[in-house]
Amino acid sequence: MERRTFIELLGAGTLLVPPLACKLRGPIAAGPTNLNGIPTTCELCPNKCSLLAVVKEGRLAKLNPNPENPKSRAMLCARGNAAIQQVYDPDRLKQPLIRAGERGEGKWRPVSWDEAFDFAANKLKAVKEKHGPEGSLWSSTEGFQEVFFKNLGQAFGSPNVMRHPTLCLASMTLAYSTTFGTVPSFDLLNADYVIMAGANRFESIITPDTMDLIGGTMERKAKLIYLDPRFTVTASKADEWHPIKPGTDLAFILAMLNVILTEERHDKAFVETYTLGFEQLLEHVKPYTPAWAEKETEIPAADITRIARAFADAAPRAVFYAGRRSSWYTNDFQMRRAQAILNAVVGNWDREGGMVPNRKVAKGEFTFMPWDDPKASRVDEVEKAFPLANAKDGVYLPLRENVLKGTPYPVKAWMIYKQDPMHALPDQGKTLEMIQQMDFVGVVDIAMSDTAWYADVVFPESHYLERTDPIEVMPGIWPAAVYRQQAVKPLHDTKPMLDIAQGLAKRLGLSDYFDYTIEQWVEAEAKELPVPNGMEHMRKHGVVGFEKPKYGTTRNAVHRFVTKSGKIELFSERLQEAGHDPLPVYTAPAQPPANKFRLILGRKATITHAALTNLPWLHEHNRENDLWIHPEPAARLNIQTGDLLEVSSTAGTVKIKARVTPEIRPDCVFMLHGFGKKSAWLRRVHNVGAADSILLETAWDKVSGNAALHETFVKVGKA
Amino acid sequence: MREPVWEFLIVNYLFLGGLSAGLYFVSGLATWIQDRECKPAYPALARLGALLAPWPVSLGSALLILDLGKPLRFWKLFMHVRWRSPMSIGSWLLVAFTILSLAYLWSWLDDAERRRWIGRVPRRAYAMLPAFLRAWLEADGAPRRRILALAGLPMSVAVGIYTGVLLGAVQSRPFWNTNLVAQMFLFSALSSGAATLVLLRFLSKDRPGLRELRFLYGLDIILMGLELFIVLPYLIHGNLSSLAVKEALGLVMGGPFTFAFWGVFLGLGLLAPLAVELWEFKPFLLGRGPFHVNPRWAMVAGALVLIGGYTLRYVFVFAGQATGF
Amino acid sequence: MGTKTKTKRYAMVIDSKKCIDCKACVVACKAENKVPEGVFRNWISVERSGDYPKLRMTFEPEQCHHCDEPSCVRVCPTGASWQREDGIVLVDYDACIGCKYCIIACPYEARYHNPETHTVDKCTFCVHRVDKGDLPACVETCPSKVRVFGDLNDPKSPLHQLLATRRHEVKNPQTGNGPQLYYLL
Ligand SMILES: Nc1nc2c(c(=O)[nH]1)N[C@H]1C(S)=C(S)[C@@H](COP(=O)(O)OP(=O)(O)OC[C@H]3O[C@@H](n4cnc5c(=O)[nH]c(N)nc54)[C@H](O)[C@@H]3O)O[C@H]1N2
Ligand SMILES: Nc1nc2c(c(=O)[nH]1)N[C@H]1C(S)=C(S)[C@@H](COP(=O)(O)OP(=O)(O)OC[C@H]3O[C@@H](n4cnc5c(=O)[nH]c(N)nc54)[C@H](O)[C@@H]3O)O[C@H]1N2
Ligand code: SF4
Ligand code: SF4
Ligand code: SF4
Ligand code: SF4
Ligand code: SF4
Ligand SMILES: [Mo]
Repeated sequence: MERRTFIELLGAGTLLVPPLACKLRGPIAAGPTNLNGIPTTCELCPNKCSLLAVVKEGRLAKLNPNPENPKSRAMLCARGNAAIQQVYDPDRLKQPLIRAGERGEGKWRPVSWDEAFDFAANKLKAVKEKHGPEGSLWSSTEGFQEVFFKNLGQAFGSPNVMRHPTLCLASMTLAYSTTFGTVPSFDLLNADYVIMAGANRFESIITPDTMDLIGGTMERKAKLIYLDPRFTVTASKADEWHPIKPGTDLAFILAMLNVILTEERHDKAFVETYTLGFEQLLEHVKPYTPAWAEKETEIPAADITRIARAFADAAPRAVFYAGRRSSWYTNDFQMRRAQAILNAVVGNWDREGGMVPNRKVAKGEFTFMPWDDPKASRVDEVEKAFPLANAKDGVYLPLRENVLKGTPYPVKAWMIYKQDPMHALPDQGKTLEMIQQMDFVGVVDIAMSDTAWYADVVFPESHYLERTDPIEVMPGIWPAAVYRQQAVKPLHDTKPMLDIAQGLAKRLGLSDYFDYTIEQWVEAEAKELPVPNGMEHMRKHGVVGFEKPKYGTTRNAVHRFVTKSGKIELFSERLQEAGHDPLPVYTAPAQPPANKFRLILGRKATITHAALTNLPWLHEHNRENDLWIHPEPAARLNIQTGDLLEVSSTAGTVKIKARVTPEIRPDCVFMLHGFGKKSAWLRRVHNVGAADSILLETAWDKVSGNAALHETFVKVGKA
Repeated sequence: MREPVWEFLIVNYLFLGGLSAGLYFVSGLATWIQDRECKPAYPALARLGALLAPWPVSLGSALLILDLGKPLRFWKLFMHVRWRSPMSIGSWLLVAFTILSLAYLWSWLDDAERRRWIGRVPRRAYAMLPAFLRAWLEADGAPRRRILALAGLPMSVAVGIYTGVLLGAVQSRPFWNTNLVAQMFLFSALSSGAATLVLLRFLSKDRPGLRELRFLYGLDIILMGLELFIVLPYLIHGNLSSLAVKEALGLVMGGPFTFAFWGVFLGLGLLAPLAVELWEFKPFLLGRGPFHVNPRWAMVAGALVLIGGYTLRYVFVFAGQATGF
Repeated sequence: MGTKTKTKRYAMVIDSKKCIDCKACVVACKAENKVPEGVFRNWISVERSGDYPKLRMTFEPEQCHHCDEPSCVRVCPTGASWQREDGIVLVDYDACIGCKYCIIACPYEARYHNPETHTVDKCTFCVHRVDKGDLPACVETCPSKVRVFGDLNDPKSPLHQLLATRRHEVKNPQTGNGPQLYYLL
């Protein structure tokens, strides 16, 4: 059936049966629901969905979605459901381990916690003595107990606390905050016209966006325009899929701006009142005509014009969605900036169905003893090289380059929490080199990741279902504060990160900074939740959410945006001062030479990053990764589905099976993340398929330092 | 293509069940037809069939039980009579058939044989049997042969049909879901009984007489002819049928089972033995020259019929499951 | 649709167009019902068509249709397969001998041989949850709320209302089984 008829039919039904959209319009706050199960919060991806853990005879029986969380919209995805298997995984980490053989040899000595702590503390002290506290690197990916890990690194005195955003979304957040002073959310539940450029929402699950795109956008006949070199699930649901030439999204957006501004379809009143630099913008986009963009993007000029008009006409209920993983190209920041500018000029700011500044649920803070600021500057020299970037999070790839070079100073100890740099960073060879030049590597994980496989000490953290964690605020249009409480006792000899931090702190003479229990920490946070008896409420419900979204709070003359000028900065002086283009300037991406392909990346709903592929319930749906290649080049190279291929870049070579499919452009190849594991404790994926990180070359976005993971060209041939 | 859940154990079960039915049927006919002296016309044939009939089906039933996920629960089959379940009816039928064929076998034993068998049963156990049964076991079976033969004819036809109905009654498998399957299985079962007897009669010490062979050949030719007349309409009808049936038939018309069906079942298993037997029968048919039989050819024909019968079940069991709606 | 009686008639409406093939329902079912590796009570069938760049891909969630005239129940020799008054078709695991006849007889491929219990198994509509007033696990967990579960005989149920207002079909009605999964068009 044509999409149009389908949508009309959908419309007919919505009259009598309230669709998801309406039901969810007012999320529940403290309603007395009968919740059977222990309310807690999923940890299998960054979304933090609320759930109810059903425990029978001390064992986890089932995880059910907790409908009280307005952000997770009463769902639990495949991964969330599979979390039980992490707890009872026979391959999981069961006690502390100290390396017995060479790094990566897989020989381990199970030890007591005392021995592990002593061993690690001595190594850290030795590095501190020789190289100072800055000789240590503390890297982690977001998680509720990440704060204790970061605090340990800071209390230790290291400036080198390194978080994950520059592998993920840093260019996007920087671009939006440069423009609006904040990073907004997108009201997909109410938007009428949505453009998504490589934001694969139906496979890369983001709450509530994924659900709202179905329950809102699709239920309500809204339009979804999707740009992606691949035919993804999102592409299959969209009204239009345009297989855009990779790296040219900026040209598409600039041409949209060209149409909207030259045809004066922008929101003049809004632009006048709230923005700065419209004149410069108008001048700037003149050369970027749809006809020009057609050559860059390979999307017909007529389509670009039509989309631009329809987008502007639908505004303010129209959004150009930001996307989340923006570790794409070396000009990623400018591409996201152009999105932000496009959204701004149609006036969708802070409107129902538009782009809405995030609200937060208030919570308290536990006060602990502060430490001195580190004396040394960061090894990644972020302040110097990326003055606009978030210095606290650091810039990961420039950091690796510096550590490998030993400049500006040596870094010889690496502590890693809830992160797998062997797969999360491009160029696995370099990451291995970085590990090998360390005097000490300590990993806190729940599974034997490939990074843990190369560590000196592995600290097994208790699984999230076995822990009580701090309260976390999830900002958004439907914000929530969520709580993670222990559902079952730890099955093995594992500890939560706070206990691990305390164990190390004691031996490093830092105990004063960790002089509290998780209960005290959480109670301090719960005290200021906007509900009576916060702690009691959290234990019973696991979440505090808001009934209704609020629109328009920043749409008044007195509102000052958190930018230099206090306005929405279409033209950015800050960028100019930092030596960057104040308005997004297009440079055409390099093209793969003959017989080479651009390697692009993306997600699948049953995998989180490089993890979870070893869990049986998920593994059943992803037994091995393969290389997507279009039939046309495949025919040229005489490649058939199932053939073993040799794929190589300047960074490395892998062997992987072919999947010949029209669901990708002829100039790209694609593979899933999370396979080709070196760790023999990940039995199902050990040496199965191939790791994309072996192929990816090192590149980063010029403004934010965000990794640029789609800049690698690979040679493909039969093995 | 879908994964089969019934595999070779079931193929064997269907084949062996049919074989017993065929043996009983042919033996029954040989008993029932009398010569001028009111004696069974083909006693050697009748006795051989009777002695063999109970065993294939017993082995088949054992295989069926082995194929169960829960073999130790097989008795639950006999806690119910479910009229609409072919397997339920079939299970009861097979039990009745097996008992009947054992009784029939017993009736064909002579005094000494009977006594020898009874002698093997421990005294005390034997004494526990009811008196009428003991009397029955000890009495001469000859007078009962004819009535048991007669009872066995519809029973073996029922068993032969059942092996087909078990598949044919599954409406979700278009490949099976036609009444022709039951008939095909029936005629194939009966002819495999005849073929076994041809084969074994040539292997036994007393060579079969010409009359006996004429009877066997005649029967076999009729059965194979009938089978052929079922197969052809099955194929024609199937090809003119709904898409689901046509697709299912595709598996034998130019798919993974084409060779097994056309080459082995139809060619080797049906047409070849039919040709051999017709060739041998030619003098009789044309009324010219004496009827004689080349034992080697006869045995080849018999063996081919058995291979064909087995292949038929194999193709049906597997191809039927590979397709659906 | 079911006849007008006071008894319940459970059924499911499926809005396939909303399905994103995320497998949440599949994993939730495995967790809820301890379904072993390699076999499934529910699954998503994918259909692809078209030529680049005009491609199509559609997803259809599938599971037992809890038929009105279930052929699985008919062929079962032991009565282990049976149907409740409310239409839910179940297997009595203590009575099942594992003959697999019902697997073959089900036109919807809904049944499997459980390699752990050696009996036959399939979707139960999560009776143990439904009888407590909860939704089936797959229905509850779905991010897109593709499935609507309810009582056909209750005119107030969302399921009944959906069927009253939206065009729908059942799969392969020609099987004669009277399947009770309704797919919205
Ligand atoms: N090639 C490639 N690289 C990428 C990406 C890509 O798509 N392709 N994506 C990028 C993006 S967007 C991101 S966000 C990053 C993510 O990068 P990572 O954060 O490294 O992602 P994961 O692979 O999820 O690794 C997380 C690790 O934490 C462990 N873990 C899970 N739960 C817990 C817990 O409760 N406690 C502890 N201590 N450990 C736990 C897991 O076992 C796993 O080893 O990767 C980036 N890098
Ligand atoms: N199931 C699941 N969900 C997740 C995660 C997960 O690991 N698994 N991780 C979470 C995290 S941390 C993140 S950051 C988000 C990431 O979610 P998204 O922001 O949606 O990012 P990706 O899934 O990496 O999608 C990248 C898409 O961009 C396409 N693409 C590549 N090059 C180009 C280009 O030049 N132009 C355009 N228009 N498209 C291009 C790729 O083909 C791919 O489909 O997902 C979150 N949700
Ligand atoms: S989206 Fe899935 S994995 Fe992520 S938090 Fe929610 S349930 Fe867990
Ligand atoms: S959970 Fe819902 S959206 Fe996901 S695969 Fe199942 S039916 Fe489809
Ligand atoms: S779908 Fe199959 S298993 Fe389910 S009731 Fe119908 S026939 Fe039985
Ligand atoms: S496998 Fe079990 S439920 Fe199925 S037909 Fe046989 S006895 Fe009945
Ligand atoms: S209703 Fe229950 S048993 Fe049936 S598929 Fe859904 S979760 Fe599985
Ligand atoms: Mo990310």
